[in-house]
Amino acid sequence: MSNTTQNPSVMKRLFGGSGVGTTVLILLVFYVLLLVTFSLLSPFFMTVRNMTSISSNIALIGLMAAAGTPLIIAGGLDLSVAAVAGLTGVIIALLHAAGIPIWIAVLAAIGIAVVVGIVNGVLATYLRLNPLIVTLATMSIVTGVSLILTGGLSKPLIVDGFNWIGQDRILGIPVPAILMLAVYIGLWLLMQKTHFGRYAFAVGGNPDASRLIGLPVDRTQIALYVMSAVSGAIAGTVLSAMLGAAAPNAAGPHLLTVIAAIILGGTSLQGGRGSVWGTLVAVLILGTLNNGLTLMNVTSFWQEVTRGVVLILAVGFDGLRQRVA
Amino acid sequence: MTATSPRLEMLDIHKSFGPVQVLNGVSMSVSKGEIIALLGSNGAGKSTLMKILTANYSKNAGTIRVNNETVEFATPRDAARVGIRFLPQEISVFPELSIAENICMSAESKGLVQWSDMAQRAHTVLEELGFGHLDPQTLVHDLPVAERRIIEIARALEGQADVLVMDEPTASLSETESEQIFTLLRRLKKRGTSIVYISHYLNEVFEISDRIIVLRDGTNAGEFDPKSAAVSDVVNAMLGKVAGAMFEERPPLPASAPVVFSCKNLNLPDQIENVSLELRTGEILGVFGLIGSGVEVLGRLIFGAQGRPASGELMLNGDVYTPISPLKGKQAGIGFVTAERKTDGIMADMSVRENLVAAFQSDFGGRVMTSPPRETAHSLEWIENLGIKTAGPEQAIRLLSGGNQQKVCVARWLNPKVKMLILEEPTRGVDVGARKDIYRQLVAFAREGLAVLVLSSDVEEIAGLSDRSMVIDRGRIIAEFGSAATPGDLMAASTHKNPTA
Repeated sequence: MSNTTQNPSVMKRLFGGSGVGTTVLILLVFYVLLLVTFSLLSPFFMTVRNMTSISSNIALIGLMAAAGTPLIIAGGLDLSVAAVAGLTGVIIALLHAAGIPIWIAVLAAIGIAVVVGIVNGVLATYLRLNPLIVTLATMSIVTGVSLILTGGLSKPLIVDGFNWIGQDRILGIPVPAILMLAVYIGLWLLMQKTHFGRYAFAVGGNPDASRLIGLPVDRTQIALYVMSAVSGAIAGTVLSAMLGAAAPNAAGPHLLTVIAAIILGGTSLQGGRGSVWGTLVAVLILGTLNNGLTLMNVTSFWQEVTRGVVLILAVGFDGLRQRVA
Repeated sequence: MTATSPRLEMLDIHKSFGPVQVLNGVSMSVSKGEIIALLGSNGAGKSTLMKILTANYSKNAGTIRVNNETVEFATPRDAARVGIRFLPQEISVFPELSIAENICMSAESKGLVQWSDMAQRAHTVLEELGFGHLDPQTLVHDLPVAERRIIEIARALEGQADVLVMDEPTASLSETESEQIFTLLRRLKKRGTSIVYISHYLNEVFEISDRIIVLRDGTNAGEFDPKSAAVSDVVNAMLGKVAGAMFEERPPLPASAPVVFSCKNLNLPDQIENVSLELRTGEILGVFGLIGSGVEVLGRLIFGAQGRPASGELMLNGDVYTPISPLKGKQAGIGFVTAERKTDGIMADMSVRENLVAAFQSDFGGRVMTSPPRETAHSLEWIENLGIKTAGPEQAIRLLSGGNQQKVCVARWLNPKVKMLILEEPTRGVDVGARKDIYRQLVAFAREGLAVLVLSSDVEEIAGLSDRSMVIDRGRIIAEFGSAATPGDLMAASTHKNPTA
């Protein structure tokens, strides 16, 4: 049927078909190649210092992309996640400055993220609005609110017993990386072992069929929009702890990388297929690429171009997978 | 008619899709100013033949001749260029454009739009069709359905159509509106246009056509002159020999069987009108209707997939039941197997096991966690019971044949909580072997106490499978039969177009 490829069976085995395990494997191989290449090109690359710095950065992207993965699997999309991360830092900083205990401030900021998630979810499901437009709009609103609250300025946020979640290490591993790993394990269990996870795959794979067998289609999606916003809030908390400051637009530039990582990781934009591990490996690849290019004195301007190219490649990869499967 | 050679001939046309032979040497012809009716039951090959004529499909073998010249069409535009136009059952007009724009819409238009010229051309065509009173500037959006159909015909004529193929042109029209179309067809005939008319309303066909061509199973099954032929002969030609072996004889339902489901005066605006029915434990009730009759809506409406009905009193298991959503329908004890497996039946990328347990997934495992081992055990049991041909429960369901996918879709509802199972077109696209299996199993489930409601446009299926059957047309139940109903009875009931109330 498909005359676009010479040998569909081989392609099918390579690019998925029954699962995304093969995709993850291909990405891992690619990751190792990347590590080897950069170690050969730069003496500073494979050092403890550089690796820990990469892993903190990667953890930020990873946290933002975490719950975005199940959401896209279930047929949704959240572009507001980075904006929510920015707002979270701002809220924490402002509440703390107003004398509210730091962890209460964190909880309040997460609460606000939940509200954003519910708004995204309700608009995209009950009102059947296009999630791309809905979350683009909330992204703009949330970013605007952050700028209004801060006047566009960074707010210092150095608090005893708080900044460690962004700056300390446990057994040599940065705390953000540990946090990210915990979130990924949690999401993996959720997606693979629970009824909810199964609904997410079913709802994204065939929403009409899911509705006709009486699955909670809208509720599943709304819950995932909320989870995506919360994972943005966790990333924002870690980011502000790492920087020792809340900058309204600190996370914004990472959005493209987040979406690219999810798609590159084998999660289908059509829904129904994907895995959080694929996203994680893709985050590792993109983070390492950024770092490696920086070490090789490629300017951030060119890195911007690289990111766009990688996104197109990732989507192209997804398209190819769709046709072959 | 014999003096002039036919304007269009299709000779010995063959077509197969993969291993399935759909057309096996079909021929037809139409002369200048002739109206022929093309008849046949579902799957007879009518639409395939017409799609070959309009080059939407390619043929495997055979000849098409236009004005005695053999032609080969590569694209639908080639067919349009020699004057062949197809009007599908769904009216396709541009509602937001004016009548003039709709009529003058053609692939040949180039350059700037000449508004005054366009209005003039539209008016000329409409005048000729007897609809000169329509203002070319009116938006098509504001016209009633029948006039939209007329705009569509006018567009075909403006594009110099010599042969018009019309698929069920009156399906969505009332009796008086249909009359309008007939008047127009007679005018076209006088003008010399050839018409191929596809309709299941036999009384219309007898009224309007000069010749009736019947297809069955991809071959010519007879040709009739409507002035002399009997309706029953035409119906027999459409149905052929009745496939008796497909269905097993079974004892009648005990009269004492309790009523599981009843509805009175069920209404959904423009789709379902005052439908009342009762279904008893162990009974298979079949509802036969042609496409567009409401047969594709009724089951969904009862299940809750169409939202709340406008009115109706429904009872299920002795309680008042209101269809709201599939989830509520399921909780009330209804199962629903859809006609379109691919679009709204299966989750293609998921496994046979995941598809099979999907409807009652929370019955397996704990409150939060799934239990794949229990799901596997359950799946293996049903794979065995229903004879589902699969490499195993972990195989992706999209790799199964249509019949086996369908068995999975049925199996997911076989749960003690389901008291009534609604099936839409249960064997559409299912091969003969699996079809027989599915029928046998449905009867077995019914005998174990399940109430089964089957909605289908396959007349033999309804006649053979049902303890009791009904015929639906234009959203209304127009006839009811006992278990002895023959396909002919059902077809005769549905092919008589009743005046609308």
